[in-house]
Amino acid sequence: MALSRKTPIERIEYAIIVSTLLLLVVVTVQPILNLLAVSLSEPAKVPGMSGLTIIPRGFSFEVWSVLLQHPNVQRGIFNSIFITAVSTVIGVVGTALMAWGLSRPGLPGRKALFILVLVTIVFEPGIIPDYFVNKRLGLLDSYWSVILFKAVNAWYLIILIRFFEEIPKELLEAAELDGANPFQVFWHLVLPLAKPALATISLFYLVFHWNEFFRAMIYLNDQGKWPLQVVLRQFVIDGDKVAIVGANNASNNTGASQIDLRSLKAGMILLTIVPILAIYPLILKFFTKGTMSGALKG
Amino acid sequence: MTNRDEAVMSPKFGNVPKSSAGRRQGRMAVAADGWRRWWPYYVMMAPGILFFLVFHYLPIWEARIAFEQVRIVPPNIWVGIKHFQVLFSSPVFWQVLANTLIISAMKMVFFLPVPIIVALLLNEVRGGSLRKFIQSAIYLPHFLSWVVIAGIFIAALSPTDGAVNNLMGMAGMAPRSFMTDTGAIRWVLVFTEIWRSAGWDSLLYLAAIIAIDQQLYDAAEIDGANRWQKIRHVTLPGIVPTIATLFILNAGMFLNADLNQVINLSNDVVRSKIDIVDTYVYRIGLQTGEYSLATAAGLFKAVLGTMMIVIAHFVSKRLTGKGVW
Repeated sequence: MALSRKTPIERIEYAIIVSTLLLLVVVTVQPILNLLAVSLSEPAKVPGMSGLTIIPRGFSFEVWSVLLQHPNVQRGIFNSIFITAVSTVIGVVGTALMAWGLSRPGLPGRKALFILVLVTIVFEPGIIPDYFVNKRLGLLDSYWSVILFKAVNAWYLIILIRFFEEIPKELLEAAELDGANPFQVFWHLVLPLAKPALATISLFYLVFHWNEFFRAMIYLNDQGKWPLQVVLRQFVIDGDKVAIVGANNASNNTGASQIDLRSLKAGMILLTIVPILAIYPLILKFFTKGTMSGALKG
Repeated sequence: MTNRDEAVMSPKFGNVPKSSAGRRQGRMAVAADGWRRWWPYYVMMAPGILFFLVFHYLPIWEARIAFEQVRIVPPNIWVGIKHFQVLFSSPVFWQVLANTLIISAMKMVFFLPVPIIVALLLNEVRGGSLRKFIQSAIYLPHFLSWVVIAGIFIAALSPTDGAVNNLMGMAGMAPRSFMTDTGAIRWVLVFTEIWRSAGWDSLLYLAAIIAIDQQLYDAAEIDGANRWQKIRHVTLPGIVPTIATLFILNAGMFLNADLNQVINLSNDVVRSKIDIVDTYVYRIGLQTGEYSLATAAGLFKAVLGTMMIVIAHFVSKRLTGKGVW
């Protein structure tokens, strides 16, 4: 913009606006950068380190290497990746198939199915009945309790239905006239056209499942099946350091016992964010679009 | 929306005859024809429908234990509303309900305006890359789990080496342990909510601002309006429907004070201040094993919550044309 045209007051206003927003950026990012600095400092120099700094004291990968070699952390990483990957695939496939049927105007029983889905959005009987359903199905303490439970999300389903409805009718009718059955139309026509929408809900599922901890916490007793979020929660929120540091510091040989707890906690928190940061450019691209196009729930 | 409604109203498969006998015949013909044409769709939808029935409707059936005495050896005994009577005569439950309402109200008053202000500010930023940079930074926390956010804030609010207390120390103030301070913990909930979602939620308002007709701004410019006058007389009126929608929908969610947030930011010292209905259900149900009482509390919240959200939906639809679904 032609800044020269602006009056001094307007320039000051603009400076205030931009600095307010930059302050917001600092408040958002600084706590994370501080943890990064703590986790990358030489562990011995961490005690007494300010919460304000974003520069490591000394430089060392020791915390990260100890964490990444820790059997419980490795287990958590594996569990998180496994649960997230399988849940996302099941969720996307189930959602896409169901959305395809529900997006067809003439489908008999379509309205009833919509009501079936909408009821689940407004009425949730709560965590105890959920727990008992899991128990009754024999899913407790199995990966499947976390993977299968509520695998198809009603909101994502609605987003996908809206997208499928926008596919030009003429295209679908032409394919049907050529003798393609609904499976073929779905596979050869709808899916390729819906790539951006599928990418969006895949990311929705991916982020949701990676961040999920509550169900894993109540359905999985076996610590060997815990995803990273639950391992992190036990260590940082509950302050139970046994799983990471060991019950007795002296007899522990994982290396974690030698390191300041603050560094280990900082490292664990960041470790859990890494995958989100890795796909963040994609998130920005697809989530932004998805939200802009009218989905109120993010 | 209109597309879909039209489609529902005008089924494509055949004309339905008017006479009553003919209508029945016609309906059967339609059903048979419909089935022949539509069964492949049902095959494809089957897994999804099954998931909904098993994981959303079976729990509704299981919720009957709110009206039963759970016995180790089945069957359970039907006890009617006994558990609800116990619940309603329990001071803890009313405290928990009060906490839920207080926290929701605090979030509504102090959270809701923030994303609006952020959106208004962002809209004033001209440089495309500066704006993108700010957006990329402030959207990030929305994608972090509450476990992670709680971890970040336990560190940032630490009385010894947390950023907040370090700043207060520089200003000569005494350190304060926010996480174990009964006077501060509800504000921690409000602030962490702002930290997590104010940036992201601003996107909703930004979308509404972008949709405002540019000609209105041009006209205001010609009339000699300055930045604030444009915001007051063009931008704000333009996003009032969005504000109203989000306000009403939030009101509909009043009983959801966010289980995931509270469960990670709570501890024994401050529990009495931020124990909400959901954490209460979790605690007495899964930790103490009073399944029936917990289910009763959950069901009470669910029924009330459903009423509120349905009312919110129709109020919002009437006033702004946008609903929950």
